[in-house]
Amino acid sequence: MGELFTLFISAALIDNIILSKFTGMCPFLGVSKKSSSAVGMGAAVTFVIFAAALVTYGLYYMVLDPLDIEYMKLITFILVIASLVQFVEMVIKKFSPPLYKALGIYLPLITTNCAVLYVVLENIAQNYNFIEMVVYSLGVPVGFMLVIVVFSKIRERLEAADTPKYFKGNPIGLITCALMAMAFSGLAGLV
Amino acid sequence: MNNIGYALIFMAIMVGIFILTYLGNKNTPKPEGCEDLKADCGGCHDISCGHHPAHTE
Repeated sequence: MGELFTLFISAALIDNIILSKFTGMCPFLGVSKKSSSAVGMGAAVTFVIFAAALVTYGLYYMVLDPLDIEYMKLITFILVIASLVQFVEMVIKKFSPPLYKALGIYLPLITTNCAVLYVVLENIAQNYNFIEMVVYSLGVPVGFMLVIVVFSKIRERLEAADTPKYFKGNPIGLITCALMAMAFSGLAGLV
Repeated sequence: MNNIGYALIFMAIMVGIFILTYLGNKNTPKPEGCEDLKADCGGCHDISCGHHPAHTE
């Protein structure tokens, strides 16, 4: 149990996908100007990463590994993520218009989110068992959501701040991101 | 059948699933009030990105 807790904390905070691995930077910079958008994006990423991890883990150990075609994993996982995003978007369009209003516009952005691919490849590379895979696939998006929401709150305050002209927008955002990365690196001794 | 054959069949199935889900999603009408929702991505301004406003305006 302790090992699983350590894995979760490590995935969410210490090896944070954005501030430590620098994947998922596109939605991190693109959809963090408003905190409401950041929460929507975080929720959509959490759902897609978890669902993609379950499907790809099953496909790898039940199809690719027994057929001895493990070298197909990259292209397979890309297609699984793309198909899953299309399918999820179609289902929520049909059955849950309020959810589509909240998350729908972020789903196409997730198809190109390398954080999703990173998680599903890491699950295989680290030889996680099923429980570890579930914990890791929940820890990573929780860390993503935490960082993007905190970042969006900072950016909202920066909009109102007296920022020098040439630092407005993405430059000050990247400086903030660097400071957050340094702060998160201080958590390395936690586990 | 050698594993190249399995790989090709598997690949064809995966591509087929993607095409089906893509067409299904494209042909599903958007709910009322969501017709003009757009992701307001203002990130890297990369013109080659499909989400750049230049591709939707």
